[in-house]
Amino acid sequence: MDLTFNESESSFRDELRAWIKANHPGEEPAGEDEGYAFRRDWQRQLYEAGWAAVHWPTEYGGRDATLVEAAIFNEELARARAPFPANVLGLLLAGPTLMIWGSDEQKQRYLDPIMSGDEIWCQGFSEPEAGSDLASLKSKAVRDGDDWLVTGQKVWTSGAQYSKWCMLVARTDFDAPKHKGLTYFILDMEQEGVEVRPLRQITGDPEFNELFLENARIPAENVVGGEGNGWTVALTTLMNERAGLAFGLQVGMKVALDELTEELAASGKLNDPLVADKLGELHIKCEILRLTAYRGLTATMKYGQPGPEGSLTKWMWSQGNQELMQFATEALGPQSLSDGSAWGRSLLRSRGNSIEGGTTEVLKNIIAERVLGLPRKK
Amino acid sequence: MNFDFTEDQHEIKRTARDLLTKRSGFEQIREAAEAEAYDESLFKELCELGWAGIAVDEQYGGAGLGVVELMILCEELGFSLAGSPFLANAIGGLMIEHAGSDEQRAQWLPGIATGEATATLALATDGVAAVVPDADGAAVIVLVEGDSAVLVARGDAEVEPLTTIDPSRRYARVTASGGDPLPGDVVGGLARAEVALSAEMVGVAQRSMEMAIEYAKERKQFDTPIGAFQAVSHRCAQMLFDTEGARSATYFGGWAADADESQLALAAAIAKAAASDSAHSVTNSSIQVHGGIGFTWEADVHWFFKRAQLDASMLRSASTCRALVTSITAASLASAGGA
Ligand SMILES: Cc1cc2nc3c(=O)[nH]c(=O)nc-3n(C[C@H](O)[C@H](O)[C@H](O)COP(=O)(O)OP(=O)(O)OC[C@H]3O[C@@H](n4cnc5c(N)ncnc54)[C@H](O)[C@@H]3O)c2cc1C
Repeated sequence: MDLTFNESESSFRDELRAWIKANHPGEEPAGEDEGYAFRRDWQRQLYEAGWAAVHWPTEYGGRDATLVEAAIFNEELARARAPFPANVLGLLLAGPTLMIWGSDEQKQRYLDPIMSGDEIWCQGFSEPEAGSDLASLKSKAVRDGDDWLVTGQKVWTSGAQYSKWCMLVARTDFDAPKHKGLTYFILDMEQEGVEVRPLRQITGDPEFNELFLENARIPAENVVGGEGNGWTVALTTLMNERAGLAFGLQVGMKVALDELTEELAASGKLNDPLVADKLGELHIKCEILRLTAYRGLTATMKYGQPGPEGSLTKWMWSQGNQELMQFATEALGPQSLSDGSAWGRSLLRSRGNSIEGGTTEVLKNIIAERVLGLPRKK
Repeated sequence: MNFDFTEDQHEIKRTARDLLTKRSGFEQIREAAEAEAYDESLFKELCELGWAGIAVDEQYGGAGLGVVELMILCEELGFSLAGSPFLANAIGGLMIEHAGSDEQRAQWLPGIATGEATATLALATDGVAAVVPDADGAAVIVLVEGDSAVLVARGDAEVEPLTTIDPSRRYARVTASGGDPLPGDVVGGLARAEVALSAEMVGVAQRSMEMAIEYAKERKQFDTPIGAFQAVSHRCAQMLFDTEGARSATYFGGWAADADESQLALAAAIAKAAASDSAHSVTNSSIQVHGGIGFTWEADVHWFFKRAQLDASMLRSASTCRALVTSITAASLASAGGA
């Protein structure tokens, strides 16, 4: 057991820290579009310095960083309060999925612009009638010569308004059992058959969208992982979603928690034993999240793929972060809920944490069935 | 960064699991609890294997390994719930080794390492420790008050055996005046003891969870294994959440004790708080999943529930630890801000 960074991990961290310090883009501007443009420029900067996708193999333009170094990357970015790159779904989901399932041509074509942020990606999985039960999705793809034509509706598609490409799962065989009839496509968002309509979130921002597809055209070479194999490919995307983010999210929570601790100390409220107790509990949860994520990382390095244990850290984070925001606004008082307070906005945004990327209930199902081996509900 | 045991440490864990599975099944636990007496031969056997001195320095006859290795044994002893003075002796030993003078170490550690003259440790107020594990058979009792601690030879203390709700371990009330003060870092010794105690609770939680899951797969109601009902399966998922969280925290504490003293105070407080809360919630849940049978003396889940209650009540409480986490964190933020 060694919970320190070895020499190469430390020097990776030091080099990165120094680079972030010299290149920090400053505070993200308010407003959805302004923030997006800012994060896109930031990603360009990361790309040009070779930091955009450290965990990717060098042949695809990454640094071939170890999982620990990738964790350090996310931690350092969050610690420096630097923004996530604009193409976060491309970097964390589309890229790794293509590396596993994509053809050589697809890797050639798509990976570099994912890294540079020249082409932004979104994730078109959820539908109005298919959320937790994703495999029941109904968007329909039919053959038209060498192409596929897709018709259907997607929803909650984050960042669709900025995206060039969409990871799209659609049904290509309506006679097959529901998990078998799906195919994973790369959809070009810039075409007639695709309409993006913004949806306002509870924060007031239109971070996600509805996606209306009407005979949207996809060339056959844009199938990923083979016709009828869409469910398996989608699971690769979902596993990466749950495993990869934990470190950055943990540090994000830690930064907020430290800020709260300082604010409460400054106002003398830490002397209230009930406040100190709850704050201690949150620090404990946050630290346990970090430690459990590192245990998971060691297991992944020893045994391969991220396992269903990734569901545990996603759950720990969403619960911890929601409790933190609720407690923060309660302890700081009503001014934290009023004009201009970041806490109020963070409280609202945190409400989505236990829904996005798989609801907590679904994560519990996964843990019960795949980790604990409990029987499935019929 | 490698957050896993070494091959040797895994081997210790496997050996302990195998031996304790054979030597301390539920029948033995029940027998010992009902007779209010340990199976003396088991502790002897553990001592012959060198377990009692696993973390004691070689110059005092121990194996000279670390808190991590000791923690592994404590977890397995919690998992098996084997009755013995092992934990009390180990935490007393950690304190004497860490905070004792050379003479105190030379006097007590050899007996602790062989298990022939055992120790125990408890928090006291004005010379009174209300519930002390395995004090009646101990040679030396360490009483901690605030930041200081004294050693009291068994013969110089008043030791009144107690019945607690946990019949799987022997407890006593200890009263002593004076005693031989420990000159060293008592707080560091206490932190180490709390990591070992937390490890036992992780084992207790793990076993309770496994029993619940096994039962949830077998027991049928409404023609369905109860584990297929989400109210049950989600409860089980919560048990994993709590147990793994406590395990992460405790292992970190063990590592800090051996490798990074600067993180130990915080790590031990986190471990003790998390392990106490998990032991409570998981052993509670396990009984709930068992239904009526779980409430009977005949079912074995209650032993774990009871041990969890006593373990969590020993040394610093979860709420004391949470307050400590806040004050340590606030202080380190203040000094980072001021620097
Ligand atoms: C901020 C945010 C961003 C998102 N971004 C994207 C995106 O970019 N792309 C994308 O494809 N999707 C995205 N989503 C969608 C997200 O993945 C879904 O909302 C989520 O999977 C739940 O589906 P649903 O909304 O249809 O809810 P439902 O599945 O209808 O669930 C409703 C309630 O029922 C519960 N429930 C459902 N099934 C079960 C079950 N089997 N057992 C127990 N309880 C159950 C759920 O836990 C929930 O509480 C985003 C969501 C949010 C909040």
